[in-house]
Amino acid sequence: MRYDHDLASLSVGAIATIGLYTILYRENRFYRFFEHLFLGLASGWALVAIWQETLKSLWWDKMVGATASDGNPAVMGYWAYILLLPVGLMGYTVFSKKHNWMSRIPIGVILGLYSGQQFSAWMTRYIPGISGTMKSIVPTTTQFFKPDQNPVKGDLYGSEALNNLIFIVTVLCVLSYFLFSFDVKSKILKNASLTGRWMLMIGFGAIFGTTVMMRFSLLIDRMYFIWIEFIKQGLLHMK
Amino acid sequence: MATNDPMPQKSLGDKLQSFPKSALYLALFVLVTIPLFFPVTLPNKPIEASIDFYAQMMKLPEGSKVLIASDWTNSTRGESMGQMEALLRIIMRKKIKFVVYTIADPQSPQVARDTIRKVSDEEVKAGGKAYEPFKDYVILGYFPNGEGTSAAINNKFLSICDGKKDYPLNSPPRDVMQSPVLQGVKSVADFKFLIVVTASNSSTVVLERVTKVPKMFMVTGVMVPETTTYYAAGQLMGLCGGVKGVYDLETLMQEGLNVPGPKEVTSEKYSEKIPGFPGMPPNGNGKGARYYPSLHFALFLLILVVIIGNLGMILSKKKAS
Amino acid sequence: MELFAQVAPKTFWNAPNSSTELLVKIFIGLAIGVALFFGLMAAPTQVRKPVLFTTTFVSGLFYVVFWLFPQPINRQPDDAPRNAMEGFSFWISDSQAVIADVTNIVAAFLIGLGIYSLLKVHAGRLVKQQKDWGFSAVLLVSMLAMVIFGYGDFIMRLDPANSKMAGSGYVGWTFWQFGKDLLFNGLLQNMDAAMFSIVAFYILSAAYRAFRARSIEATILLVTALIVMLSLMGLIEFYWGSSVDGLHLSNNFKLTNIAAWLGKNIQTPALRGIDFGVGIGLMAMGLRIWLSLEKTGGTS
Repeated sequence: MRYDHDLASLSVGAIATIGLYTILYRENRFYRFFEHLFLGLASGWALVAIWQETLKSLWWDKMVGATASDGNPAVMGYWAYILLLPVGLMGYTVFSKKHNWMSRIPIGVILGLYSGQQFSAWMTRYIPGISGTMKSIVPTTTQFFKPDQNPVKGDLYGSEALNNLIFIVTVLCVLSYFLFSFDVKSKILKNASLTGRWMLMIGFGAIFGTTVMMRFSLLIDRMYFIWIEFIKQGLLHMK
Repeated sequence: MATNDPMPQKSLGDKLQSFPKSALYLALFVLVTIPLFFPVTLPNKPIEASIDFYAQMMKLPEGSKVLIASDWTNSTRGESMGQMEALLRIIMRKKIKFVVYTIADPQSPQVARDTIRKVSDEEVKAGGKAYEPFKDYVILGYFPNGEGTSAAINNKFLSICDGKKDYPLNSPPRDVMQSPVLQGVKSVADFKFLIVVTASNSSTVVLERVTKVPKMFMVTGVMVPETTTYYAAGQLMGLCGGVKGVYDLETLMQEGLNVPGPKEVTSEKYSEKIPGFPGMPPNGNGKGARYYPSLHFALFLLILVVIIGNLGMILSKKKAS
Repeated sequence: MELFAQVAPKTFWNAPNSSTELLVKIFIGLAIGVALFFGLMAAPTQVRKPVLFTTTFVSGLFYVVFWLFPQPINRQPDDAPRNAMEGFSFWISDSQAVIADVTNIVAAFLIGLGIYSLLKVHAGRLVKQQKDWGFSAVLLVSMLAMVIFGYGDFIMRLDPANSKMAGSGYVGWTFWQFGKDLLFNGLLQNMDAAMFSIVAFYILSAAYRAFRARSIEATILLVTALIVMLSLMGLIEFYWGSSVDGLHLSNNFKLTNIAAWLGKNIQTPALRGIDFGVGIGLMAMGLRIWLSLEKTGGTS
């Protein structure tokens, strides 16, 4: 009997999927077996991929260089990369009671670089949004509804101006809800914060709807894998 | 207080609010499974964001180059794999070369490799050309520090390719700088697009740091509302969101845009005709098309149980008052 | 001086592959690194805060200067700086690539922290034969299996004789490739997908039990979620659209148009408002981390 790798792969996947789904009934040893199997495989792969995809090319090959071979040019080795090994290993001192302060050195380097980027990152991310929020709310024509056929280019119709006004009011109300979290006496600000809260609920409704779509898609994919890919196509060889 | 007192009868409202979990799980399981056995093509009107994505990709001339951040794994296979497959089909049919890198997960490069190989095999079966590693695409691997890598991509793209090797067919591992894919590439601006296929916030990391190349995102459902704000501000040229986005792309690949026919797809923004690939895979058998009917049933069940729960609450309140 | 610039000519910072000079320099560099490591371990307590503050501040300062200092525009590979200012600008631009490399390497080493912690806990449980040590054995065996097959496959692919493995199908595959594929695609990827898909059941159950219209806010949330979910259903969209088809004005009441209007004019600005708020917080947090004012991750 020849080894059918496709079927073997589908079979172990299906068994593992069903094993993990047993948690829906209740916590059991079958689930815990597959849970530990999953953790072991994931961490094992992380060890492989860290070397294969990252460290070998970014660190080791740059440190030791290479001679010309198989069409690849010769590359000099840069010895200073070895200094990164003790720096990286400082992170492991987090397990030491006496020396765990040293683990903050490599983390401090990474966090420091990250925080230094925040200023330009903030500008790139938010300035287009801020300028996109500055919409015109004054119509340039007396027509309220935008015609379907041949609307005049450059004209702002009444309905569009109203939409822009709703847009700006929503942003301001939501911001007032966040910024004025202290007690305010002004009735306008109080109502703005209340309106902001309601607008937020509309935003959260959208997030809920799309999140539900995503989670159900993941489940549908698993059912497709078990019923169609494994049973129908793999075991029963039906198209 | 006496133990012989009979248990108070549950009102209709209380009964409606206390379905057992197992019944709900079973109902979901059944409703999601049955449509998979009866594939039907449901009507679909692609949204403007998906149409933008498709139109921008279809306008690319043959031989262009795109940069892809493949930041997903099989944990979001239901959406991300469909998105990646749709993207790769368009790329392969337009004969576009691409470079893949990852900043999100160590598993992602291998998942990308397997998906590219699978789609290439399907294209060959459908009469297309095989896509070869190193010659038509290169995979740069995993970069654990996404922020620094994204800044390096924007500042000096070739620095992230330095020392990287890929695995050409019938040839030893070669330096990616020698690949035909990277010939003529001096900076990230030489790519037509940076496309991020992601299930995490790596899209935001890229958005904040890469400014020299137009970007398009393919995100999972949970990221759609936030990413739509960037699309609305013009920071993205196109957006494909969730399984709906996958089905939108599959519909456009089948019907084209503004192509006359019974299922013509039109757009407010684009008046020109943009053809599809009728008859070519997935041809109604893609992930979007196969999952969409089940999604209907699952969403319908959720809406139903929420309505039942609220009805139960109203009836209980009425009885209490 | 260019910071570790990848130039072909021989400099103090580089040496040819496998040369004695390179090996000696690597050894000396390692000795310096180890001396630094043990030196820090022996350092007095008063030195700790300044060391942490300096490393964090200097790291952050690099990108602040990178952002503020004028960058070369349309710089060509053979361009030379005309003065000190340009020279500094060129150096900053070249250094950024090396800094990115350095952070990737350090981050890669730090990823091992989680794995080391996992190993420590489960190996300890196995050795001491504590409760459920059998599961710890499963974890360790599967980790070892993945490492062995993963590296076995990787090493084989480096060999030019195995280059046909890069093609489609199982051409040239051996025991190592099948083993790695079974563990990675057969088991790991499928379990990854299964773990995340379980949440769908919990969402359904939670929505049934907790999603109640008890207040105005909850009702707004419920109604909007309903509209969004209905708009995701193409079939509902089709029949709803057909029933309101007719006058131009009635087209505005098609489900797609209602959902699109809500999305464009209320959801997008609402989420943008949240984003701005989060952004202000991120900026403040970035500043606090850079200046080591943040106690939790900083110098205390």
